[in-house]
Order: sequence, then structure tokens, then C-alpha cells
Amino acid sequence: MAPELQEMLDSKTRVKLAHNTLMMEQILGESADIVRRDLQCGGTDGVPGVLYFVDGLVDERQLEEGILRPLVGLNDASFLRNVEADDQTVIDRLLIHSSISAVDTYQKAVESLLSGDAVLWLDQYASAFVISVRGGDKRSIEEPQTESILRGPRDGFTEHIRTNTALIRRRIKDPSLRIESIIIGERTRTDVNIAYIADLVKPGLVKEVYKRLQRIEIDAVLESGYIEELIEDAPLSPFPTLLGTERPDRVAAGLLEGRLAVLVDNTPFVLLMPTYFWEFFHASDDYYMRYIAGSFFRLIRYLALFISLTLSSLYVLLVSFHQEMIPTQLALTIAAGRESVPFPVLVEVLVMETAFELMREAGIRMPKPVGQAASIVGSLVIGQAAVQAGIVSPIMVIIIAISGISSFVIPNFSASFSIRLMRIPLIIASGTLGLLGFLIVLFMMSVHLLSLRSFGEPYLAPSVPFRPNDQKDSLFRFPWWSMKTRPQMAQSADRQGNNQRPQKPSHQSAGAEDGTS
Amino acid sequence: MKWISARYVARIAPFILSVFLTGCFGQEDINNLAMVMAVGIDEGKRPGTVLVTAQIARPSDAVGQTGAPVGGTGKPIWTAAAEGRSIFEAMRNLDRFSSRRVYWGHNKIIVLSAAVARHGVNDAIDFFTRNHELRMRTWVMVTPKSASEIVASKTGLQVIPGDSVDRLFHYSAYTSEAPPVDMRTFQATFLNPTSQAVLPRVDIVQRGMPATHKEEFGTSPQVELSRAAYFIGNHMVGWMTIPETRGALWFLGHETSREMVLHCPDSSGKWTTLEMRTSHFVITPHLLNGKVSFVIHLRADFDLVEADCPSVSSNLVLTHALEMEARIKLREELLSAIHLSQRTGSDFLRLGERVEDRYPAEWRTLRDHWPQTLSRAEFLIHVKSSIRSPVLLAVPTRPGSVSKEVIK
Repeated sequence: MAPELQEMLDSKTRVKLAHNTLMMEQILGESADIVRRDLQCGGTDGVPGVLYFVDGLVDERQLEEGILRPLVGLNDASFLRNVEADDQTVIDRLLIHSSISAVDTYQKAVESLLSGDAVLWLDQYASAFVISVRGGDKRSIEEPQTESILRGPRDGFTEHIRTNTALIRRRIKDPSLRIESIIIGERTRTDVNIAYIADLVKPGLVKEVYKRLQRIEIDAVLESGYIEELIEDAPLSPFPTLLGTERPDRVAAGLLEGRLAVLVDNTPFVLLMPTYFWEFFHASDDYYMRYIAGSFFRLIRYLALFISLTLSSLYVLLVSFHQEMIPTQLALTIAAGRESVPFPVLVEVLVMETAFELMREAGIRMPKPVGQAASIVGSLVIGQAAVQAGIVSPIMVIIIAISGISSFVIPNFSASFSIRLMRIPLIIASGTLGLLGFLIVLFMMSVHLLSLRSFGEPYLAPSVPFRPNDQKDSLFRFPWWSMKTRPQMAQSADRQGNNQRPQKPSHQSAGAEDGTS
Repeated sequence: MKWISARYVARIAPFILSVFLTGCFGQEDINNLAMVMAVGIDEGKRPGTVLVTAQIARPSDAVGQTGAPVGGTGKPIWTAAAEGRSIFEAMRNLDRFSSRRVYWGHNKIIVLSAAVARHGVNDAIDFFTRNHELRMRTWVMVTPKSASEIVASKTGLQVIPGDSVDRLFHYSAYTSEAPPVDMRTFQATFLNPTSQAVLPRVDIVQRGMPATHKEEFGTSPQVELSRAAYFIGNHMVGWMTIPETRGALWFLGHETSREMVLHCPDSSGKWTTLEMRTSHFVITPHLLNGKVSFVIHLRADFDLVEADCPSVSSNLVLTHALEMEARIKLREELLSAIHLSQRTGSDFLRLGERVEDRYPAEWRTLRDHWPQTLSRAEFLIHVKSSIRSPVLLAVPTRPGSVSKEVIK
């Protein structure tokens, strides 16, 4: 920012209206959407004033009903000329509005104006009056696009941060739920909110998050991805250490487990921290479906993790190095399918993986109607035609399809991407060094995962380090009545009373009903 | 460009370079392998040489419809034979005319000709257990014909003959006429100083075929698995008969669900058949004053599966008579195996190991003259047999056996 502009912003406001408006216009320049409305409070001999607002950011009905009508329609403005009149008089008597404040620097006035507030300057008053009439168009609450569930709430976060905080507040009516605000971005001045439950979050975590957020010096924050990359623990790792979610219920559940959420204005993706690796494989309806179904779905997802990470590399190493490990009949089938394939298995796998990634990317980027056509053509080419032409073997198509489907099973797309990415070094190592190479890369990956931390929590917990109490919500999802305590991450352990498991009706009450006792 | 430091390059370079690796150590795609399904070992034409016959699967014809172009030869196997001074040399000579690398990892059976077995199996065991590509779970067998003939023969159901012989072993419990022996067991008994090896016998039989419908019956001779050969040390000594083999199977500890065909108790000359369901065989060695004796308890339960005895009125009568008959027959089989072992001095029943397990200290003196001790050993045999169930029929089938009231 230019130094002279900064100097103007930092200077104090003065009593002369003309000076103030001149300063405002110098700071803001000519902008089509910034509206200046001159008015006279209390008739012809009233106090002159100027109202600034940004067209499109304010709620016009509120502006007319709440500000313009009382100001212009004022009969007697003499109390404003009274020598004893100060800012508080204006706030108390002139403007009847739920949220109003007086500011004494141009910096604050301009910032409020650009955030969607109306700014009123009155002659002979040194302060600017900031009246909150924020409004304008915003997207309504819709079902999240990226995290579909079967059972559970259908609302998702929107781009409007106040809507988002309201969605959380509506779920947790706890006085200890704190939502604190911080502004990040020199030019975008983006609202960033930190939400946590004061008596559940571990002491020190809030301070740490604040420390990392305040460190950020950046001109713009357009999405929570900016914040994520600027505060995460392992910036070079392929694995995400913060969980981004569109689901308010997921954030609420996280807060109740002692986590902390960072909300960023203009994006529906909220960051949850600390995060364990395994949580990327949990979906929120694990907790809403009955626990048997929930646990089963979880097992399926862990299986999908294994398949999508290793299946294609296992195929490569078996077919090109360890043929004796394949059952004879299958070995013959694979050999027969590969009879006319001109490439080594490693090349074949890489070609097919590339083709699959192309198809997936095309499906996302193309406009919806074209996207469908692309995927039909792609699947025909990859499936049927490539096999018949003898370019790839039929078993390979099955392998790629299964590992592709498995990667879509992983509910969090950023985790799904990193797992898919890790496939490539595994495949190359398997194709060059066989089982040895596969194990080397898998081992390196495990060591790397073990070394990661997310805001002080070990990334692979509760498996490594093993936390016996947290096992009820890791591999399986235990019934709610058995999860008596909160995860170890939270400050307070008590979650529910004793004996929450539903019991058979006692003998007496049952007897009273049917009259047999 | 500060971030491209030497350390960064050193870290990334191996990954990028690995893409261009072509000489992957030991890498061979599966379709470049000639997968051997069965191998036969005969004596070569020149003295002191061996003839190795390998049955190699031709995948595109062995599998058929896979979407890939089929080989179109209609022959799922290709048989190659080569001679050499050693087994390995002969195998390497196969590579002279095999267009793919000969690969032994999927070999299922090893056939030794009787001539090779009589001459000595030491070399074969050494080679097949030393080689890293060959599996220890490969079936080993002896044939009185030439091994290459067995290896090259076709069978009816399975596309690949090696596979069909492999399956013969899997279902050998139904006939219980040959012991299933893999390389591991063969080697174990071979290395044991007193126990002697047993190998199953395979032969080729011409099956009686009607002149019409030749195709349906399979046009070629079939491989038959029956009886066994027994060894002394390095050399095969002779063939066992079927009762001797069946008797020996009890000692070798193989599960059985065999049938037993017995005379009807009514002297009609007709036959009844029992099927063995469960059995229990316990042998306990006893040592008294340097004399070895064995107590054998055998209990077998049968189902009555077929009875053509028109004059027998009830199952009760039938079962009582048959239980006695089965007992005698089982005892005869056991004795025939024991007598063969005692007569020839070949401990193929592995009785010495039983003594060693129970009397390890005494065994040290016994083992030096074990064949003599064995030939003088006494056997006490207790056989129990019971017919548990006549399966679905409550009364034996005979004309007019059900009265009118029952029909009503």
C-alpha cells in the first residue's frame, strides 16, 4: 500500500464535514459502486450530513427504513446543535438502529464501508457513524456438493461467514462456544473466525492457532486453502494435516471433541484442527446410522484405502517379478490376456492410470452435459476398445477400475487425491524392484506418516501411539451408549451419564402394563 | 531459484531417474515365460544322461475366451524334451528351442521313470530341493512306463494334463489306492536314516471305448493313479499291491473316505458296498527287553451305501454281518503292508520314527540294526468297525418287502 494512502487512513477525523468528505473521496477515488448521499438532518436549517454506502453490499430496505427516513424526516434538529451534544447523543437519539458505533479514524470508517456498512458523517461531529446494514445477495443454504451422506442433516456451509457461524451456533447452544474474529489479508481484509468450546478445547491450542494466524502476512485470502497452506504442520508432505469440510454437523461434532474450527469468509470450506489421518476415512453418517452399519461402512473404507493404494502396484510386482505367487489358473489367465500386449506391465499400468486420471479430470472440468459424453467415450475407449485392440490386457482394466472406484470411496477428496498420488511411486518401485521396492516405498511412507503431527497431536493416533480409550471410535464405531468419554484430545472427559445402554423394561413396570404380576 | 539446492536435487533425482530404468533386475513379464506344468525324468539314450520332458502350458489356448486373440492352435500344451548329463543341463537344453524363458515356479508334478528310480533318486532330490524356482509342494511319482509318455498324455476333463494329475492327488482320498507324496515329504523320508520313501505309481491305461461316440469318451489313453513304489535308501525296490498300499496308507497318516465291497452275508454271491466316513488309527510302540512290539487300534465308521442282498430281511442283520467282514478285511490289509515291510526290511511304514518319538534314549542303540529288529517285531492289531447309517433306506431293497398297510 502506498505510504501516502496509509498516512491518510491513519489520520484522525475532523469536525469539518467538507474536510471529511474530501478525505473520503481521496482515499476511495472514483468508484461506480460507492454511493454518496448528501442529506439535511431536520429540514432546511438542520445539520448537513453525508452518507456513504456500497451499492450491492447493503440491505437497501434497512438503509431506507432505518437510516434515511428518520434522518431526513426529522422535525427538530436543535438537539444536535446543542453544545453538550456528543457522539453518544447521536447514537442514543438520532439513529435508532440495532448496531451502530462511532469511529475516529478514516481507516476504520473505510473498512466498515467496504465491508457493507453505511458510514454517516455529520457536520460539526468529529466521528463517523458506522451503521450496520450489511446485506446484499447471498447463496442460500444448500446440500454440500462434496460430502454426500445417506442419513443426516442436509444443510451445508455457504460463502457467507455469518450464515456459517449461525449454522454452528444453532447446533451448539452452549454459552462456552466462542467465535472469535480476526482479519487476514492486506488488501482483501478477509474475515476469519475461530470457533471453539472454551471448556473442551485443550489449553494452549487456541493460543497456538492464534499465533499461527497472526503470523500470516499476505495480500489476499480468497479461500480457506490459503490459510490451510499457511498454518499446516507439514507443508511439504503429500498428506493433509487439516480437515476441510462443508458440513456444519461435522464441525459441530469436531468442536464437541475439543477441536477448533477456522471459518473463512467467502468459502463454504471450514478447517478443523487437530486432525488425525483416520478421520479422512470417516463420514458423518457413520455416527447417525446404527453402529453396526456405521462400523461396516468404515471397514469398507479402510479396505478401499488399502486397495486404492496398493492394488495396481501389487499387480505389477506379481506379474513381472513374483509369478510363482499367483495361483496357476490365474497365472495362465493373466498370461493369456497379456499375450498380445506390446508393453511391459509397468508401462501398461502407468498408461492406464494416466488415462483414468484424464477421464476423472475431464469429468470435473467439462460443463455437465459435455462431461457425460466425455466419460462415455473415455470408458468405451479404455474398457472395450483398448482390450480388443490388444493395447492393454483385460485384467489390467479390472485392476484400474477397482482401484479407481476404491479411491472414490474415500469420503474426503483431498485425502483421496493424496492416496492416489502415492500410488505412482509405489507402482514405479514395484515395477523396477518388485516386492522389495514396494516394501521400501511403503516403509518410507509409513515412517513419514509416523513423523507427522497436526497441532501437537500425532497424525496416526489413536493407532500409533495406541490410545486404548479412543479405540471405540477408530476402526469400528462403537454404539453411542458405550462411548462414555470424549477422545483424549478434549480437555474434559465426561460425555454422558452411566448406564446409557437401553435396558429391558424392569419386571415391575412390565407387569403393571399387562397385569400378570 | 534458490530452492533448487543440491540436496533437493539429490532427493528428487532417484525418483525421476527410476522412470527411465530399463534393466530392472530379475524383471520378466508373465507372458514371456514358458510355464512348466509337469516334468518327467527318464534315462537318456546315451548311458549316464537324463532325458527331461517338460509340459509347457500355452496360455492363450489353455484359457480360451479372454478377449485376447487366442493362439488358434487348439493345443493347450506344448511338450519339449532335452537330454543332458545332469538334470540342470538337460533343462537348460530345453531353452535351446523354447522361444520363452522356461519357468518352473508353477510346476505341479514330477514324474520319475521306474528305471531312474531303481537306479537312484539322490540326484533328483538334490536338484529339486536345491533349485529356488521349484516348489516343495510338487507331487512326485513313479511310472513303469517312460516319464515322457505320462507328461505328454492328455486327459479328458482338464485342459492341462499336469493340472489333471494334480487334481487326481487332491481327490485321491476317495479311492485310497495311492499315497499323495510331495517333494517335501519325499525328501524328509529320504533324509531319515531308517525310514524309507514311498512314491505313488502312475500308469497309462487304454480305456475301453465304444466305437461310436469316441469324442465324448476322450480319444486318448488316460493317466491312472494307483498303488505305490517303495524304496530302500536311494533305490526303488518294488511295487506294492493295492491291499498293501491301502494298509500302508493308515501308517502314513492320510485321510480316507474309501469304499469297501463285501460279500452279502446270505451266500447269494452278490455284493454290498460300504463307504468309510470317519476313522481313527493309533499305533503305540512298546519296548520290552530289547524287543519291539506295536499295538494298533483302528476304528472305522461306515455308511451302507449299496446292498444287493435280496434275501436279507433287515438292516440289522446286514450290518452285524458286514461289520465283522469289514473288520477282517481291514486287518488283512494292515497285515499285508506290515509283512511286506518286515520281509523286505524297508521301513516305509515309518515305524522307526514312532519308536524314536516314544523311546528316544533307547532308539540310539536300536537304530543301528533297525531292519533286523523290525523284522522280528510283533504286532497286536485291534480293529473296530461299525456301520453307522443305512443312509436313506430303512429296509433293504428287495421285491415285495413293503406290506400294503405301509404303502397306505
